Amino acid sequence: MSTLEVFKAIQASEFSRFVGGQDHLFGAVFQLIHIVGLILVLSSVILVSLRLITVGEFANQSLIRLSDATAHLIWIGLGLLAFSGVFIFIPAATNYYPNSAFWAKFIFLVLALLVHVTLYNKITSVDNPNKTLARFTAVLVISLWLAVAFSARFIGFV
Amino acid sequence: MSLIELSQQLYDSELGTALRESIYMFPIIEGLHLIGLAFSVGLLVFVDLRLLGLFLRFIPIDKLLHPLRPWILVGFLVTIVTGILLFVAAASKIVLLDVFFYKLIFIVLAGINAFWFEVKWGQQIKNWANDEQYPKGARIAGGVSLALWSLVVITGRLIPYLSYE
Repeated sequence: MSTLEVFKAIQASEFSRFVGGQDHLFGAVFQLIHIVGLILVLSSVILVSLRLITVGEFANQSLIRLSDATAHLIWIGLGLLAFSGVFIFIPAATNYYPNSAFWAKFIFLVLALLVHVTLYNKITSVDNPNKTLARFTAVLVISLWLAVAFSARFIGFV
Repeated sequence: MSLIELSQQLYDSELGTALRESIYMFPIIEGLHLIGLAFSVGLLVFVDLRLLGLFLRFIPIDKLLHPLRPWILVGFLVTIVTGILLFVAAASKIVLLDVFFYKLIFIVLAGINAFWFEVKWGQQIKNWANDEQYPKGARIAGGVSLALWSLVVITGRLIPYLSYE
């Protein structure tokens, strides 16, 4: 079964037709949950990245405690993104198939998650990581998450 | 000139037309609006939650607010500039929506709350930043800020959906 056939089957499912048949404000609720999830992830990553980049008073805060505190928010945010994303995706799955921004979003998302569970988690597991590597990590994770957000905004326009 | 006439002029202006007709400008501005929101409201939520004692309790509020403030302000600047551009591109439709004016009212109220916090509590922040529990007024300011900015995000996200009705 090709990817397009999978997308067609998803869109043709009873659940998809139920979701698609709802009022457009029903969709707005999931869009809202999606944006809250994205802001939770982005602002948590930004907060930890500012600790990795800054040299001022914020640099004195414990990186381990800061990343521990935000880790919950990042996973809650990702959960909200996945949950709402399913409801946004399934009623129009075949429309997303030819959309280059949709695929770009998922490529950036996979890359962001990969960097997160490897480099980011490694760097934030100690309070005083190598400064150059810490700054590189911060710039990389912020760039990837901003790319996820940007490509997501492009989905409706390409 | 009425608000409806002014919004129509903005909608018909060269800038408004260019923004609507450009393939890339509109999503780029929307993307920047979202990123500005993550820096401004996103980081402010952390400050509000800290004031309430619900998050980052190991960092005194002054040690959190001071380094974050320039980023929050730059975030708001980006959000406001891109928000004005998004408004210009669809002004004549947006001014017909009650939800847009609710959003503006919530932004003004959040601004007044932030100003009140700065005047009343921000000036002597070092006097209470290391307290186990923050003064009631500062906690209320944090809670009000959290509620108002949540309402701003909700009403803002509803704008394109209510335009279709």
